[in-house]
Amino acid sequence: MRAVSDREQLGQPARAVQSWRSVARDAALVVVGSAVVAMSLNALRRDRLPWIQRAEYQILVPCPETAGQAGEVPADRALLEAPHMLVLDARSTRDYRAWHVERALHVAFDYLEPTPSDMVRRLASSGAKEVVVYGDGLDPDSGEQLARELSGKGLRNVRFVRGGAPALIALEHQGATR
Amino acid sequence: MKAVLDWSGHAFVALGARGYLALVFLVACYHKILAPHDFALDIATYQILPLGLVNLLALILPWVELAAGLMLLVGFRARSAALLISAMMVVFTVAIGIALAKGLDMSCGCFASQGAVEDPISWRTLLRDIGWLLLGLYVLYFDRVPLGVDGWLARRSAVATAQPGAGTKGAS
Repeated sequence: MRAVSDREQLGQPARAVQSWRSVARDAALVVVGSAVVAMSLNALRRDRLPWIQRAEYQILVPCPETAGQAGEVPADRALLEAPHMLVLDARSTRDYRAWHVERALHVAFDYLEPTPSDMVRRLASSGAKEVVVYGDGLDPDSGEQLARELSGKGLRNVRFVRGGAPALIALEHQGATR
Repeated sequence: MKAVLDWSGHAFVALGARGYLALVFLVACYHKILAPHDFALDIATYQILPLGLVNLLALILPWVELAAGLMLLVGFRARSAALLISAMMVVFTVAIGIALAKGLDMSCGCFASQGAVEDPISWRTLLRDIGWLLLGLYVLYFDRVPLGVDGWLARRSAVATAQPGAGTKGAS
C-alpha cells in the first residue's frame, strides 16, 4: 500500500494493473510448463501412463454385490405352516400356477433383474419373524438366490428350502401314498 | 464500474478467495498426480473426450492445478492463475452438467478416485463448481494488484521508477 502512495505522490497511476494480454500469456506459459513437467515426470515413472490410450477404458463396472447370507432348511411342511413364517415361492409364474405351497407368496426370482424395491419393502413390513424361500431346486437354486438377495437387502432370518419345490412336492407325494 | 474496480478492499476479499481456491486445487491435484491411471479412468467415465486425449489430460491437468494453486497462494501472477482456474471450472462444470443430463451414475473424480456409491455427482456438485467459478472470476476481474508476490513486485517497481537515476547507478 505504501508503494501506491509513492506513485500517487509522483502523480503516476496508483495501480500497475497487469494487462489482459499478459494475463493470458502467463496462463499459457503455465500450461506449457506444466505439460513439460508432467511429461518428464511421467517418463520417469515405472508405471507410466501412455500419452495416447489405445484400448478402451473399462468404465462399465458390475453392480455391487448385494447378496447376503441365507441358511438352508430341510423340506418340512410343518416349518412352512408355522404361523410366524412368511413363505415365498421364487419360481416362474408358470411353475407357481402349476403348484405352490398353499400360503406361499409369489416373488419370481430373475437372474438379470433385481427384485423390485417396493416388493422388498412390502416383505419387510409384513410383520413375519422369519422368511423361508423355496425355488426350482436346480443348481443354482432360484430359492437360494432370492433368499440371499433379500438377506443382502436387509431382511432378517431369511432361509431357503434345500431341494426347493421338487423336494416339497416329493414330500407331498410321500404323505399321500402313506 | 471504475469506482467498483478501484475499491481498495478487493485485494483483501480476494486474498481470502485466493487462499480458499488454492487449498481446493492443491488438495484436488494431490491424488491425481499420485495416481494418473485412476484419474484417466475418471475422465474416461465422463464419455466426452476422444480416447486419444484422455491420458494427455490426465497427465497435464493435475500439474496445471498444482501450479495455479501455488500461484494463487503466494500471489504470483495471481490473475493468470485465476484465469486458469476459471477456465478449468468452466470445463468441469460443463462436463458434470453433461454427465448429469446423460444420467450417468458416477463419481466426479474431483478429489479422490471414488466409486459412484461413495461420491456420486449431483446438482449440488454442479452448484459447488459454479461457486468456485464465481470466486475465480472475482479474483480475475477485481484483484487488480494482488497481495503477495505480485503486490511486492509492483511496489518495488514503483519505488525504482520513483527514484531519480534508478537503474543508472551501476553505470555512473
